Amino acid sequence: MISRRAFLSLLALGLAKGLFFPKLSLSASFPQFFFTQLKYRGGEWDPNPEYVEAIIEELELRTSIDGLNERRLTTLSDPNLFFCPFLYMAGKYEFEPFTTQEREILKRYITYGGFLFVEDTMGARGFGFDQAFRKEMKEILPNHELKRLPPDHSVFQSFYLTGNIGGRQKVNSYLEGITLDSWTPVIYSQNDLSGAWARDKFGRWMNECVPGGEAQRSSAFKMGINIIVYSLTSDYKKDLVHHPFIKGRQNL
Amino acid sequence: MSLRQITITPVFPLWLIFFLLFIGLAATIIQYRLIRRRLGQHRALALSFLRLGVIFLLISFALNPSLVSRKEQKISPSVAVFLDTSQSMGLKGLAGNGSRLDEAKAILLKGSTPLLKSLAEKFNVRFYGLGESLRSIEAEELPSLKAGGKEGDLTEALEKLAGKNSLAILLSDGNLKWRDTTSMDLPLMVVPIGNPQGYRDILIKAVKAPAMAFRGREVVIDVSIKGYGYKGVTLPVLLKDGIKLLRAKSISFNDNSAEVTVPLSFTPEEVGQRNLSIGIPPQFGESLTSNNTVNLSLKVVRDKVRILMISGSPSLNYRFMRMAFKNDPSIDLLSFVVLRTPSDMINVPLQEQSLIPLPVETLFSKELKDFDLLIFDNLPSHLYLKPSYLESVGDFVRGGGGFAMIGGPNLSDEGRYIGTPIEEILPVRLIEKEDYRRDSSWRVRLSRTGKAHPITRFSPDEGYSINLWQEMPPLDGINLLVPKSSGNTLLERNDGAFQPILTVGTYGKGRVLVLATDYSWKWYMGMVARGKENWVYLRFMERMVRWLTKDSSLDPVQIILPEKTGSVGEEMEIRIKVREEDFSPNRRGTVSLSIFNPDGMKVGSRLKATGQAGEYLGSFLAEKGGTYKLKIETLNSHLEEYLTIAGPMEDLDAAPQPERLRMISASTGGKFLSKDDDLLKEIEAYAERTESHFIEVRNSPLWGRLYVLVLILFLVTAEWYLRRRWGLV
Repeated sequence: MISRRAFLSLLALGLAKGLFFPKLSLSASFPQFFFTQLKYRGGEWDPNPEYVEAIIEELELRTSIDGLNERRLTTLSDPNLFFCPFLYMAGKYEFEPFTTQEREILKRYITYGGFLFVEDTMGARGFGFDQAFRKEMKEILPNHELKRLPPDHSVFQSFYLTGNIGGRQKVNSYLEGITLDSWTPVIYSQNDLSGAWARDKFGRWMNECVPGGEAQRSSAFKMGINIIVYSLTSDYKKDLVHHPFIKGRQNL
Repeated sequence: MSLRQITITPVFPLWLIFFLLFIGLAATIIQYRLIRRRLGQHRALALSFLRLGVIFLLISFALNPSLVSRKEQKISPSVAVFLDTSQSMGLKGLAGNGSRLDEAKAILLKGSTPLLKSLAEKFNVRFYGLGESLRSIEAEELPSLKAGGKEGDLTEALEKLAGKNSLAILLSDGNLKWRDTTSMDLPLMVVPIGNPQGYRDILIKAVKAPAMAFRGREVVIDVSIKGYGYKGVTLPVLLKDGIKLLRAKSISFNDNSAEVTVPLSFTPEEVGQRNLSIGIPPQFGESLTSNNTVNLSLKVVRDKVRILMISGSPSLNYRFMRMAFKNDPSIDLLSFVVLRTPSDMINVPLQEQSLIPLPVETLFSKELKDFDLLIFDNLPSHLYLKPSYLESVGDFVRGGGGFAMIGGPNLSDEGRYIGTPIEEILPVRLIEKEDYRRDSSWRVRLSRTGKAHPITRFSPDEGYSINLWQEMPPLDGINLLVPKSSGNTLLERNDGAFQPILTVGTYGKGRVLVLATDYSWKWYMGMVARGKENWVYLRFMERMVRWLTKDSSLDPVQIILPEKTGSVGEEMEIRIKVREEDFSPNRRGTVSLSIFNPDGMKVGSRLKATGQAGEYLGSFLAEKGGTYKLKIETLNSHLEEYLTIAGPMEDLDAAPQPERLRMISASTGGKFLSKDDDLLKEIEAYAERTESHFIEVRNSPLWGRLYVLVLILFLVTAEWYLRRRWGLV
């Protein structure tokens, strides 16, 4: 039986840990998949703080992927950045330009196997976050442009056969991305998928999806799962063995 | 004699001679006038004519006339006698008692008046043996001459002797090299040897086979077979790999002298050097049976390494391994990722799903043999694989396939592999208890075996490899395994726990590997994070695949065989490369070469260093045809290879070819003779036509003789006598 003193000591230790070490260490207890959100200077780096739980829940419910129900936070100067399988960057407003060193790190991360999913949650083309992000990408990969991903891109076939992007808002009917050879390490959306995934502590959706409502939210989850599966399997669905099945189901 | 036969060669210039003649004539006329008054006209004329006679004789002497005579002369021709001494002349001759060479010798040496003797009496005769090379021989050597060696080059021989002889005689069965050239100016008289009607033989004339074949792909070998005297007989043609029969086909000839081409196909199942033989069983009455078989070496390689990878779930481990395999053009990857388990809910109609069923029945019952390597990546196989499929995996590895298990929570499938063929195959022991840990980070280090193993040793510098692995980022998830005594641990935990991370072993003819982590991708991104290249992970994956699939590039000893098939009597050279760990410049003599002939007897060989580290040049004399075994031994390994040497009569077509000889003699302007002909008479008759003729020119001076001098003296004396008598002196 535990004494009152011991109980209070343990409680104090637990609170202190929660207060001073809010994030899990990157060096231990890696699951197969977890979100790592990129913090940056200026703008608003965390427009949808509550997006993780619902999408991970759906991911584990529908796929064989074992995910962590908690996001990690990182910066471009974090030495553990390269051990994060899925780097998530979101924002609404224009942010401070990356330093030369940060650009070099991000370039190396993208070029050598990292995956970056970026969301403009404001959805304002040519303004705010969209303008700042596109500028950064031009600086980081000057020879590669953000381009619309074609309908037969693996990200639209990695788990669900879908071309419907979904999201909290319907700014674009497409995803954009930077493709290096056959791998697209950067995928960019302006539809605010994470806004559609966000759920409060009581399980209520935090944002309404317009104009499509719940069908649009459902599409956002499907696209989210597809993006995660793509980040872990690359262009696996382009293997010849899949062709007859996918074409048959698409009635091609 | 006519004036045309007279020619002059003046001793003085002509103008001087004519000048002296003029002076002489003038002096004679003056003298005539002076003495006519004293002696009268008749006596003066007599003296003057005497003087004129002397002058004309002297002038004629100065002109030096001579008589030219022309006479046609004949020269006896030099005759070159070629005696074919190639190996086909050693076969049974016409009489049946001796060889064809004996038959040829008899023509030259035997009989009441031997041809050789008769020829030597009439012509300038030289003898040549026409074997692999042209050899001048003395007549005394003829009786002891023996047949052997490859066919001689008649064209070369005739070109060599064309300027020195006017006629050549050839005694041959027609099996010689001949190129029809228009510039041949040495007529050839041919005496055919051997009996084409009585000759019976089956031979493999030509084999058209690729130098290299791909495993699993059909190889077609075209075999041309020639038959003499076996019209209508059905014969089997057998293709063998050692003693194993690969293919048999039947052929028959529709003529007594006919050629048939038959394609023999087979599909090689294993990589490596195959020592094949194509043969036809010896037939009754065959003149030669050693040409019924042809040996050939066929190198079987894989066009691509075919990998079947099944992953238990989408993961970074899968993505990075896939990237590594896809980057290697020599790898053909077929991968399946279990995107959902039976308990997962997908909640959409089939049209919206990209998932495909895992074709386990096809893969494990039919197609597994077509792969070189099978990888289970964190696969909970009990959900998908029936026990019979695991049996198939066991058979696959036992038969030479590679098998790798990549770690993760499902490596041991919660102990369900225990008691299955998978447990038997693996180089580690499986336990029922959950053995996967993800609660810490673990660095790795090279084990003692790992320091020398081709998968983990990236450099000849041992220290470099040790440091490289120690610097690798720590792994965040590992399986706790215990190696079997048959397994070799290459990488282990660096914390002193002696937990194996990478363990390899063999099972049957196959190789197996267990990588007890699903975080090897960190070895890729970790190096990238440090600003270094990603080659370590890529090379690790490449070497893992190559070792599992027994790629010879990782073998510690490699032999480079000569490109051309050797023949008997040839010095064969082989190049040997020994990896650094098996070779040390300070330990010379640690590499040895042994050669065994087709009878299994060890033969002499030489081995010398080329000067490059670990590289040697071996050589031996191929004394007989067949397959030689080459054995190379080093401190840590050994290798056996096979080299095929063509037999001396392997492809010999020894049928007498009189028609060919007829054509050859005609093209040289010579004559084809028959043994029934009177050879000496024929040769003489032909020699007459080829006799050399020339005109002999003789020059006989007319005045350079005594009677001319006597005549001059007589005329001068007569004039002096008459002058004295007539009172002029």
